[in-house]
Amino acid sequence: MFDVGDFQFLGELRRMNKRQLYYQFLNFGMIVSSALMIWKGLMVVTGSESPIVVVLSGSMEPAFYRGDLLFLTNYEEEPVRVGEIVVFKIEGRDIPIVHRVLKVHEKENGLVKFLTKGDNNQVDDRGLYAPGQMWLNKSDVVGRARGYVPYVGIVTILMNDYPKFKYAILALLGLFVLIHRE
Amino acid sequence: MASKAKTDKTPAKADDKQIKVDKWDGSALKNALDDATKKVLIEDMGYEESHRLMDGRLAICTLSVGFAMFALAWDYLHPFPQSRPVLIFCVTSYFFMMGVLTLYTTLKEKGCFLVALDKDKAGIDPPNVWTFVSQVKRYDDQYTLYATYVDAKTKAVRTANFTKSVAQFFDVDGNLCSDYFEVEVRKLHSGLSSEKKHK
Repeated sequence: MFDVGDFQFLGELRRMNKRQLYYQFLNFGMIVSSALMIWKGLMVVTGSESPIVVVLSGSMEPAFYRGDLLFLTNYEEEPVRVGEIVVFKIEGRDIPIVHRVLKVHEKENGLVKFLTKGDNNQVDDRGLYAPGQMWLNKSDVVGRARGYVPYVGIVTILMNDYPKFKYAILALLGLFVLIHRE
Repeated sequence: MASKAKTDKTPAKADDKQIKVDKWDGSALKNALDDATKKVLIEDMGYEESHRLMDGRLAICTLSVGFAMFALAWDYLHPFPQSRPVLIFCVTSYFFMMGVLTLYTTLKEKGCFLVALDKDKAGIDPPNVWTFVSQVKRYDDQYTLYATYVDAKTKAVRTANFTKSVAQFFDVDGNLCSDYFEVEVRKLHSGLSSEKKHK
């Protein structure tokens, strides 16, 4: 059995030589790297700095609920249109916001400014923008919603709400990979 | 029951070096037996271990993790739209290296855990090479050890193997009974080297 009393799972670690120990760390590094590279690869393919986001608030109900997973793209050549759902960043806020485009103004020199509003909110987003900011620019956009998976992001919400839970899970997984020899 | 079996099988020199593993964990059992094989060949018979195969794998892994870490650092210093070309390069290189690693383990290593060199005493001839591969099927108790011997002079290649239940080498508590296992390894080894003398 998994005999914690005798620390026999550490005994295996203690019997390893330098190369095996180093490989053990590399193995851990490769798991992290694979996830990282898939994420960066998605960034390159979609053009968005955060190609997958989780809806954290109910401000877009009934289109999106808390915990929905959104898939985003952000291609330069596609213009922003009224009715589209965009994810944007506001200066001074850590978490991006998912809302629908309400008004768009386009100038001939290519300058675009637009206003957003949550479907479930009473008023538009000017109150959410940085103080004095009236419009969003293209540079504020993280991406446009292209598809969604309902509810699977609830794990992310749980981890966001209970940071200790997140660190506990990460620490356990990390420890398991580090001490388990294949 | 447990204590009786222990006194029956545990070698007399049960010192603090006694290897104990979780007996329900197939890979832990396999690793313990592989290590025991290594000990017989390297420590007891005085062969030299060749680390070339393992070093090759470590190099491939280090390089791929290096690509990933470089991408992470670069993306942090030059936020996304600027870092795009570097990211494309790092991501493709990383997945290419993963492919290389898969090819390396399946075509070159083939599950080999020990390459032992039987060096010529005078240091003139190239060494004879012993290669050991072991196999335990998932949820199975049968441990198979394959030995390959390559004679440096005649280029003759000889192979032999044995399959035994791991239950023959571990007691009920998961202690490795190295004496029982050593006998088997030595039998395998002498089988291949005596064949050499008959020729």
